[in-house]
Amino acid sequence: MLEFMDYIQHAFYNVSGWNYENSYSQLTATARALLDFETPRGLRLNLSSLSSPNFATSYAIGSVGLVDGSLSYLYTSLPLQTTSQSGKIDLHDVIHGYRQIQELRRPEESWMWEEWQTGKRTDKRDSLLYGRLYLPQSTLEALYLRRISPTQQLKLSAVSDGRLRNGGTILALHQYDTGKYSAETLYSTDGGLLGLRGLYNFGPDPRKEITEPPRTEDRFYGRFSAGAEMYYGSLNKSGGVSFGGRFATLPAHKGVPLTATLTLNPLMGNLSTTYTVKAGKNLALCSKFDFNVYSYESEVKLGCELWRMKTRIPKERERSIAAKLEWRLDPIEQNLAPEPEEVVGVLKARVDQNWKIGLLWEGRVKELLFTLGSSIDMKRKDQPFRAIGLEIQYSS
Amino acid sequence: MAFNFNWSPLTADADFYERAQELLTTALNKSPKPPIIVDDILVNELNLGSVPPELEILEIGDLAEDRFRGIFKMCYSGDAFLTLKTRVQANPLNTYLFSKPSFTSPQPLAASSGLTIPLQITLSEIKLSAFIILVFSRQKGLTLVFRNDPLESLKVSSTFDSIPFVRNYLQKEIEMQLRTLMMDELPAIIHRLSLRLWCPEYRAKEEEEMAQAVKQEEEEVAVDPFSSPPQDAVDSRGNVLDASEISSLSLDGGSEIHSLFSQKNLLRLAALTDSHRTLSLFTPSIRDAVFRAWAGPSERSDSAGSSTPATPSLLRSNSSLGTSTTYTFSRGSDDGHGHLPSRPSLVSMHSATSGLGLGAGRHSRSHMRKKKTRVVNLRKPKTTDDLVSESGESETSSDAPASEPIMPTRIPEEPEDNIIDPPHSPQRVRFRESNADIASPQKARLAARPALSNILPEQSILDPSPSIEKSDPTVPIFSREHRPPFHSSPYPTEKVPATYTPAPILSSDPTAAGSILSQAWVLKMANEIARQAQDMNVKGAREGFWSQSQGEREDSPPPAYQAAM
Repeated sequence: MLEFMDYIQHAFYNVSGWNYENSYSQLTATARALLDFETPRGLRLNLSSLSSPNFATSYAIGSVGLVDGSLSYLYTSLPLQTTSQSGKIDLHDVIHGYRQIQELRRPEESWMWEEWQTGKRTDKRDSLLYGRLYLPQSTLEALYLRRISPTQQLKLSAVSDGRLRNGGTILALHQYDTGKYSAETLYSTDGGLLGLRGLYNFGPDPRKEITEPPRTEDRFYGRFSAGAEMYYGSLNKSGGVSFGGRFATLPAHKGVPLTATLTLNPLMGNLSTTYTVKAGKNLALCSKFDFNVYSYESEVKLGCELWRMKTRIPKERERSIAAKLEWRLDPIEQNLAPEPEEVVGVLKARVDQNWKIGLLWEGRVKELLFTLGSSIDMKRKDQPFRAIGLEIQYSS
Repeated sequence: MAFNFNWSPLTADADFYERAQELLTTALNKSPKPPIIVDDILVNELNLGSVPPELEILEIGDLAEDRFRGIFKMCYSGDAFLTLKTRVQANPLNTYLFSKPSFTSPQPLAASSGLTIPLQITLSEIKLSAFIILVFSRQKGLTLVFRNDPLESLKVSSTFDSIPFVRNYLQKEIEMQLRTLMMDELPAIIHRLSLRLWCPEYRAKEEEEMAQAVKQEEEEVAVDPFSSPPQDAVDSRGNVLDASEISSLSLDGGSEIHSLFSQKNLLRLAALTDSHRTLSLFTPSIRDAVFRAWAGPSERSDSAGSSTPATPSLLRSNSSLGTSTTYTFSRGSDDGHGHLPSRPSLVSMHSATSGLGLGAGRHSRSHMRKKKTRVVNLRKPKTTDDLVSESGESETSSDAPASEPIMPTRIPEEPEDNIIDPPHSPQRVRFRESNADIASPQKARLAARPALSNILPEQSILDPSPSIEKSDPTVPIFSREHRPPFHSSPYPTEKVPATYTPAPILSSDPTAAGSILSQAWVLKMANEIARQAQDMNVKGAREGFWSQSQGEREDSPPPAYQAAM
């Protein structure tokens, strides 16, 4: 489940028109959500609030060994009108599961952001500031996010911690996204790491006028994306490269939605494939297979997520006054629109070839969002439960 | 003097290598490994080579057949080598991300995917140069400590020698790991290894000896004398301890000892010690007793400090010196007493018991002995041999004031169980003789006092804490020493005379301390004990000679301890 501050950050992306998913680093987001979810440890409480459209606070307290906690504040220059009450938040927004790739949007032109007043430009770039202090550890996290233009974003994140070398690190990330392709460059002060990431979406260019309607009658109606990343540590003279591709069906696809990815690390000989199917309306299945051509090591992971829905009970309608006066019953409405279902909870489970099992149950009780999780190691018969945890969030 | 270090037998013993590899493997995997190492480190091959290290003896603190303590300067540049096997993470990006906060992580998609590679590392051309403190004793094994960082240089050759970055990294990492291994782990490994080598043998020997000596005591063989202070054996909570329980707790193990005291008094004493320990304001009243502990808590530290004023190394040398001197001295005195054989054995025994531990008790002991010799020299012209010995003894006892009252407790009991007395150590016998002329020894003592140490008379009064310290080491020593002599022929003849003497001598010591109050208390205790002893006698008759002797033999230290409390 997303933390409140991440939820707000995603809201910022949405409001400012940034496509968070159109990035090479999000290529395997679906598989990550289904297979690599984190199981909570210990008890953790989050108390958050979006006190004004521009300001959010969040406090967390947890007990893993000893009591620790964090304070976080967020300011955004862009007013966010998102629902922040934990009783009303749509769980689909805070729980990442199978991620449906959307049709590419046409990015706004930069002139659309211009505001003129009495011959002067008055528009300002939206930015987000976020800080978080972990208390016993005295670790400070800071984030500065700025939308430079409709197609560009700058993200500076920093961690200050006395235990780190040089007292902390800063990561600068510049993202450029035109819809058809996206590119990211990054620099980290830790080891002087330089990075370059790019993603290209095959298919129609969203920037051009679509002349012909999509042919949804094809067996698969989806999009193929390919990308690559490259890193080079300028201080420690090390690097890394990977290539990846993804095929995902689009919402207009009539069959079973699916996502398949393939990533390749030519330097390390690593090959990883994932295949995810949304087998039902509330069920998604995922598998992942890793293989290393140099060491012949392989890994298999299976996972699934099951959404438990609850139909809203329709209210009992009183007989209308008009009907009573006329001594008749109300006419039965034939085509009642089905009430949207409400998410009760999500069950996520994964298992790998070592019989390590991860279980996660996320949902809502009254006004509280909770995450209950456990990781189990079946190979250790004496002590199979490696970790168990409960996380409770309340926000207003 | 010559030392013979055998280097090649180590290499010849295949079993040794196996054990060493096993221990090294566990040691290497104990400390947290750097993120690049993703598997357990296995010691594949170990060879100590044929070139022994060069050892330069800087100092020898203690030396005997079964124990050794010394400081060496070691230089090694031999042909030993070590081959390790493990698996490493070959992706530098993976290890790079390992320790970084996730908040600023670049979050690579697949560039950080791992590749683990089996790695074989050979460490050779090891050059060491270090100052080593080596302590060996047959009972406690071998302890080796480096005074400085021993690693001078070594050559690391691995599967990745062709890649300079990896090679440098490995060299750096391994040197670091090896340094911690040498400084922290190696002493532990060597100690464990030595214990395995010597301990079973020692134990077997002990058992054999015990079987011959006293069949009943077989259970005690395994009990470590140092680990079981009589303190615990005394029931501090006032619970009734059964014999087996006590014997399991303490080496002296005789429940009889404890039954010598009335349960009530024991309870009171226990409460008293507890109150001291817990700073409780409640002090149980014991009739006709004055608590010397009230003399001040500083006494404890004083006495403890006085017993071990010098640095350990100094003390060690003292002790060795002291033992030798006592040896000669005792000979002279023995002539008069006729206890010749026992004396030397005693000395050697003391040395034997002091092993690796070299606890405070031991220090104090050796220290005392040294003083004793000094006194002897002074007194010899004035008094007879007996007197000399007495003064020497009194010196030691004055150093351990707590023990004094304990001894007196014996007085009443002795006349009753004559048989029991023979087991008393030769020391006792000495005392008795001195008692013969009590008046003169006192004078001698008074004279000796200033020369011996600057301990005030008040300080020499009973102090619970020092007595505990001292009695602890003595207990094991006594038991050890007694066993062989006990069976030896000279003892039985002496037994009868010995019975009387110990008590008066001991009592005289407190008087030397110059405290009437303590005497009164001692008397009181003696009465109490006498009563118990009578009961004991009845019991003893039933149980037979062996049980009695056992109790007797070992009871001397514990009563001292208890009385001190």
